[in-house]
Amino acid sequence: MKWAQKLLLVDRRIIFLLVFLGALIPILSPIGLIVQVSPPVRAIFDRVERMQAGDAILLSFDYGPSDGPELDPMANAILRHCNKKGIKVLGISLFPLGGVDMAFARMADLTRDLGGQNGIDWVNLGYKDGGQAAMKLMGEDFTAVFPTDADGVPIEEIPLMQGIRNYGDLEMAISLATSVLGEWWINLVNAQFGIDVAVGSTAVSAPKYYAYVEAKQAIGVMGGMKGASEYEELVERAYPDLAGLSRTATVGMDVQSIVHLVIIFFIIFGNIMYVLTQRTRREGI
Amino acid sequence: MKRQVPILLAIAASLYPVIAFFFPARGINTFNQGLDEWMVIIASFALLLGIISMIQVNLAKVRRRAKGWIFSVLTLLAFAVMASFGIFGGQGETVLADGSTRLEPFTWVFQFMYSPLQSTMFSLLAFYVASASYRAFRVRNIEATLLLIGAVIIMIGRIPLGKLVFPFIPEVAEWIMKYPNAAAQRGVIIGAALGAAAMSIRVMVGIERPYLGKS
Repeated sequence: MKWAQKLLLVDRRIIFLLVFLGALIPILSPIGLIVQVSPPVRAIFDRVERMQAGDAILLSFDYGPSDGPELDPMANAILRHCNKKGIKVLGISLFPLGGVDMAFARMADLTRDLGGQNGIDWVNLGYKDGGQAAMKLMGEDFTAVFPTDADGVPIEEIPLMQGIRNYGDLEMAISLATSVLGEWWINLVNAQFGIDVAVGSTAVSAPKYYAYVEAKQAIGVMGGMKGASEYEELVERAYPDLAGLSRTATVGMDVQSIVHLVIIFFIIFGNIMYVLTQRTRREGI
Repeated sequence: MKRQVPILLAIAASLYPVIAFFFPARGINTFNQGLDEWMVIIASFALLLGIISMIQVNLAKVRRRAKGWIFSVLTLLAFAVMASFGIFGGQGETVLADGSTRLEPFTWVFQFMYSPLQSTMFSLLAFYVASASYRAFRVRNIEATLLLIGAVIIMIGRIPLGKLVFPFIPEVAEWIMKYPNAAAQRGVIIGAALGAAAMSIRVMVGIERPYLGKS
């Protein structure tokens, strides 16, 4: 069947066009699909929910702009959640390609949306090179790694940092991570210092974190845009007054749904054509 | 001496944190914290080495007028501009006298040039993944068929639409992630960790000496 052979070699530009339309249409006309929350994301939300006002967490922005569409919504949802609970957030970055600027941008979002104050509700301690060495040293003393915040204000002069010396003074650490940094937070910080660790990762990296979640080395994992949309959903359910704020991951899930369907369609279509051409070859037609 | 001293230093520096971990006495820990601080400083110098190497490589390309040398000029120019903005300007926002805010040049370039460029590059992956999936996922044999079925279940299970069409699919997808996937990942992680531990022990006892270079 020559037509099956021809269809099997479909021009990749047709696939590109359909993926493009699949992404564009839900952006122009959102579907508003309902997000189902998975246990690893709920576990992170519940852990934050159990904290008291005045507790502090560490939020590590271990990603750059390329991962922003997946990880920025997670950062926004966590910051909003902490703000509503009165939990202080120490922002840091161990990722060289823009992590510190991602932190600046998300904390500016928080200030704009909910009026969070620098130095009181959140602080951006900036970027430090050295990955594992910096993580280990923060277990002893934050000031040894970050003597000032990203704006150059000495740690001792920041109200939020009063009474916070090392991981022992924090409730948990959340790493929004690309590359191997998320694993280091679990392997090193959770294992050596005993602090609860959760990870938000890109969708492609999420599967590896399930091993750590199942081993109870990580509280939970938020995988890609889906994980972010689940956290957005949980925060909005718990705090309905946040309903007016943007939920970019939830909107993005409409796009992801359609694009996944386009890909699945092409996989099934390609296999039907493949089976037909194989049969033709065997039968010598 | 040129060989013995670095080897002795490497053995001491690598064994000391292990001893400090198992015997966390005050004196031992104080010196160990010092070692951690050195690590952070040395890692920063590694970044500096990377910058110097990048400048050398690109300058050489420009001098030789090697193929694509114009891109090296752009790389060096972009580096110089961003480094100047970073060193001589600030980061984040500045509050002006009238209460409005202005982005610092570094943050402006990052937010309006670097960030969209990176996002564009990454989003192109969606198109290539779609095309590659079409060509690669074929029912050629049992293993490939299992992979294909698993991939389709995960893809449907990870989207809200999946639950509307097949209500049980998200649970099946979660089960795949939680058990077969976690089991396989655990094998990979433990294997890699054992390899890293073996390599570390070789460095600790001086069998492996990558820090001495080729000589």
